[in-house]
Amino acid sequence: MSNINRRTLVQGSLAMMAGAAFSRSAFADAEPILLGVSGPLTGPNAQYGTQWKQGFDLALDEITAAGGIDGRKLAYQFEDSQSDPRQSVAIAQKFVSDPKIVLELGDFSSPASMAASPIYQRGGLVQFGFTNSHPDFTKGGDFMWSTSVSQADEQPLLARYAVKSLGLKKLAVLHLNTDWGRTSRDYFNNAAKEYGAEIVVTEGYIAEERDFRSTLVRVRDANPDGLVLISYYSDGALIARQARQVGLKQVICAASSVYSPKFLELGGEAVEDVHVGTRYFPEDPRPEVQKFIAGFKKKYNGLEPDAFNAYSYDAMNMAAAVIRIGGTDRRAIRDAFAKVKDVPSVIFGTATFDVATRRVKGAMNAELVVRKGQFALWDGKPT
Amino acid sequence: MSSWLDYTINGLIVGNVYALVAVGLALIFGVSRLINFAQGSIYLVGAYIGWVAVVQLHTPLPLTIILVAVVAALVGLIIERFGLRPLQNSVRIAPLLATIGISFVLDQLVMLTFSPNPRALPSQLPDVRFQVGGGTIGPLDLLIAGVGITSALLLFVFLRYSKLGWAVRAASQDRDAAMQMGVDVNRVNQAVFGIAAALGGVSGMLVGMYYNQIDTAMSLQATLKGVVAEVVGGAGNVPGAVVGSLLLGLVESYGVAVFGTSYRNLFAFLLLVVVLVLRPNGLFASARQAPPEPLTGTFIAPSRPLRIPCWALSAAVAVFAILPLLPVSFYVLQTLINAWLLGMLALSLTLVAGTIGQVSLGHAALLAIGAYTSALLSLTLNLPVGLAIIAGGLMSAALGTILISPSFRLRGHYVSIATLAIGEIVSLVILNWESVTRGPIGISGIPPLSLFGYDLISPASIYWFAFAVMVVLALLQARLLSSHLGRSFRAIRDDDIAARAYGLSLNRYKSLAFIFGGFAAGVSGGIAAHLYSYINHETFNTQQSILALTVVILGGLGNVVGAIVGAVALVGLPEVFRIAAEYRILIYGIVLLLLVRFRPQGLLGTI
Repeated sequence: MSNINRRTLVQGSLAMMAGAAFSRSAFADAEPILLGVSGPLTGPNAQYGTQWKQGFDLALDEITAAGGIDGRKLAYQFEDSQSDPRQSVAIAQKFVSDPKIVLELGDFSSPASMAASPIYQRGGLVQFGFTNSHPDFTKGGDFMWSTSVSQADEQPLLARYAVKSLGLKKLAVLHLNTDWGRTSRDYFNNAAKEYGAEIVVTEGYIAEERDFRSTLVRVRDANPDGLVLISYYSDGALIARQARQVGLKQVICAASSVYSPKFLELGGEAVEDVHVGTRYFPEDPRPEVQKFIAGFKKKYNGLEPDAFNAYSYDAMNMAAAVIRIGGTDRRAIRDAFAKVKDVPSVIFGTATFDVATRRVKGAMNAELVVRKGQFALWDGKPT
Repeated sequence: MSSWLDYTINGLIVGNVYALVAVGLALIFGVSRLINFAQGSIYLVGAYIGWVAVVQLHTPLPLTIILVAVVAALVGLIIERFGLRPLQNSVRIAPLLATIGISFVLDQLVMLTFSPNPRALPSQLPDVRFQVGGGTIGPLDLLIAGVGITSALLLFVFLRYSKLGWAVRAASQDRDAAMQMGVDVNRVNQAVFGIAAALGGVSGMLVGMYYNQIDTAMSLQATLKGVVAEVVGGAGNVPGAVVGSLLLGLVESYGVAVFGTSYRNLFAFLLLVVVLVLRPNGLFASARQAPPEPLTGTFIAPSRPLRIPCWALSAAVAVFAILPLLPVSFYVLQTLINAWLLGMLALSLTLVAGTIGQVSLGHAALLAIGAYTSALLSLTLNLPVGLAIIAGGLMSAALGTILISPSFRLRGHYVSIATLAIGEIVSLVILNWESVTRGPIGISGIPPLSLFGYDLISPASIYWFAFAVMVVLALLQARLLSSHLGRSFRAIRDDDIAARAYGLSLNRYKSLAFIFGGFAAGVSGGIAAHLYSYINHETFNTQQSILALTVVILGGLGNVVGAIVGAVALVGLPEVFRIAAEYRILIYGIVLLLLVRFRPQGLLGTI
C-alpha cells in the first residue's frame, strides 16, 4: 500500500515536471527575444508572482498580435526565487551568464532584489524592478531602472485626498512595517502635515499580523477623525473589518496597493465607503486603461485586474518599447531606457524615465470610493 | 481605564484563536513527545476544505464542521501511518524532521490546488454583534471559545477516565512498558493523531471564517503561535494549553497597549523564554511530574558514521578548489557559494545541535548578528571588510552565547523552542531598534567583499574566499571534535548527569560550543551581507533556521563533512528542480521525506 502511494506520488510529480517543461518549450521554436523574470512563485509571496504572470501574459499576447518585435516574439523565462536573496543571487548569475536573456524583470521584495543588484550591475544586464519602491533600489547602479511608483509621488496624492478632499484633520496611520510601508508612511505624514492635518498616532505592523483589535483600541484612544491604511489588500481588508467590529466608525482611506477585487471580497461590507487613491479605475476613459481592462477580463474569464496586474502589464509593455529602440544588445538596452519616450501606460498615462533617478515621475491619480461593493469614482459626497 | 477592559477582552479573543491550535499540539506532544510542525498544515487544509464546503457545496454549518473534521482526521491518519510510524524505532529527532517535510508537502499541495491568492471564507453564523466594553463580539467568538474549551475538557476527561485514554497516558509515560501490558501503541497513536488533526482542521476553518480570509501562508504562523502557547501552558498538558493560549493573547494585547503594535510578537516570545527559564515544564506542570525528556541521551541516538577516507576528502577539496578554473557557469559557482555559506551555518549548528545536543531552531539570529555587525562596522567606521567580517563573527559568538545561555538548563525539545523564540526576538529587535539597525528600511550600499585592499568581485574570487573560509572552519572543528574538548561535548550530549558526575561543568562547555558555533555562523552572515550589499530584518528569517537544521540532520548530527554535504544537497536540490517551476518545493519536500525515511541517522551518520 505504502509503496503504491509513494510511486504514484513520484509519477505524478514527474508528469507535472514534464508538463511544465513542455509548456515552456512551446515558446522556443520561433527564436523569441527572451526576458528573465526573477520572482516568487512559491513561498509566502507566491500570490504576487502569479499576478505578475497574468499581467505579463496579457501584454505578451497583445505584443505578439501586433507582430512582435521586428517579427520576433517576445517571451520570458520565470525563475522562482521565493523572494529569498539566496535564490535571487543564483538566478541573477544564471541570467547574466545566459546570452539569450536580454533584460531582467524583478524581484519582488527589497532584500531579494537589492541583493541581486550588484550581480546585474557587474554583469551588465538591466535589472528592471517594476515593484521596487525602496528609495535606494536605483542607486545600485546605472543598470537598475524602475517603473515602481515612487512613494514620494504617490503618498502626497493620498494625503491630498484625505486632508484636502475629505477634510480630515486628525489622522491615524496604520502601515505595514516593511521598507515600503515605512517609506510610504514618512512621505504620507510629511505631506499630510503640510496640508494642515495632524497625525495623532502611527502604528506599524508586521506582514503576518492578522489580529488588529488591540491596535485599533490604541487608534480609538487617540481619537482621530480618519484612518489611513498603508497596506496590501489582504491586511487592509482585515483592518477594515476589525475596525468596524470594535466600533470605529471613522472614515478609512487606503493606499493604492489595496486596489484589488480581492479587497472587496475579503473585506465584505466592512470596506464599504473606504476611500482609495489609485492610479487608474475601471471607467477611466483613457484608451490604454480600457484596452487593459477589456483584454484582462476577456483573457481571465471576467476577472477584474488589480494594481499588481497593472504594474506587470505596464512593465512588459515598457520592456517591449525599450527593446524596440535598443535591439537585443544588453548595453544598448540600458541606453534605450534613457531614450524611450511617452510609452502608453496604465499607471502613468505615458511613461518617460527621469535619467537622473532612473525612475518614472508623475503617476496618474484617481480618487475612488467603495460603493455597493464596487470601486467607483468618488463623487465628492462625504461619507 | 475602559481601554484596559478592551485590551483584556481582545487578548482573550485572540488567545481563544491560539488555543485551538495549541490543544492539538499538546495532545500529540503528550503522547509522542513530538512537536508536530505539520499541525499548522492540517489547519491550512481544514480551512480550504471548509472553503470548498461553504462556497462550492453550500453545506450548512454543522455539516461543514463534520466534513472538515473527517477530512482533516483522515489526513492526520495518513500522516501518522505513512510519515511517522515507519520512523518510530529510529532516532528521536527523525519524526521532527518528518513533520517539517510533511508540512512542506501539504502546504505546497494546497497552494497548487487552490492558488496562493487569499480567499474569503464567509462565516455561516448570523451576523449579530454583542456590545462588550468599547468593542463588540460576535457569535463566532463564542463558537471558537466553545470549541476550544469543550475540546480541552473532553480530552481531559477522555484521558483521565476512559480506557483508551489510560492507554494514551500509559504510552506517553513509557512506551515499552505500555506495550508489555498489552496496549496497542499504534492504535493509540492513530487515535491521537486523528483527534488532533480533526481539531486542527476545524480550528483552521473557524479562524478562516473569523477573519473572512484564508491563504497558504497561514500555516507557519499558526504553528509558531500554537507552539508558544502550548509550551507556556506545559507541553503535553491539554487544559494548560488553553490557559497558556489565553495568557499569550493577553500578554500580546497588553504589549500592544503599552509599547505599540510592532512590539507585539516580541512580548509573545519573551513570555515564552521567561516561562521556560523559570518553569521549564510549563506553568501547569505538577512538581511530581516526571521530566518530559528521558534523562539519558536517546534524543540523539548513536549510529555508525560513514568513514570517508582521507584521500577521498582531499580529492574532493581539490576538485572544488579548482572548479572555477574549469568551464563551469557563474550560476553553478554562485549556487556553490550559497552552499558554502550555508555550510558554515551548518557547521555551527552541527556542533551545538549534534555534538553537544542543543538542537537550536533560532540559528538564523546568529547570521543576522554577524551580518549587521559587519555591515555597520564597515559602513560607519570604514573598517576593512575582512576585519569587519571577523568582528561580526566575534560579536555573534559573544552576543549569541549570552542570549542563548538562559536555555542551557533546558533539555531536548525545550531547547529547540527556547532558541526558536530567541531567534524571533533577535529579528524583532532588529526591526524595532531603528537608531542602529535602520529598522525595516534595512542597510543598503554595504561595500563588496575585499581582502587586503583588493575587491573580490568576480564570482571565482568570491567562490574561493567562501570556500577557503569554510574549509578552515571545518578543519578547526574537526580538530576540536577529536580533542578532549570534543569528547566532553559528546559526553554531555549522551548523558548529562553522568557527565556532571565526572566533574564536567555543563554551562561552561555549552558556552564554549556556542562561542565556537556562533563565530562560524557570524562569519557566514558577515560574508552574506557584503555579498548581497543590502540586508534587512527579513534577510535572515525563521525559514533559514529550519533549513539549517534540516541540513544538519540530513548530513548526520555532529558530522562535519555531513554538514557540508547536506548544505550542498539542500542548496542544490531546489536549483536542480527549477525545471519543475511551481512544483519544485513540493518535490523537494518529498525528497526530504524519503531521505528521512531511509536514512534517519543522516547521510553520513551521527558522530
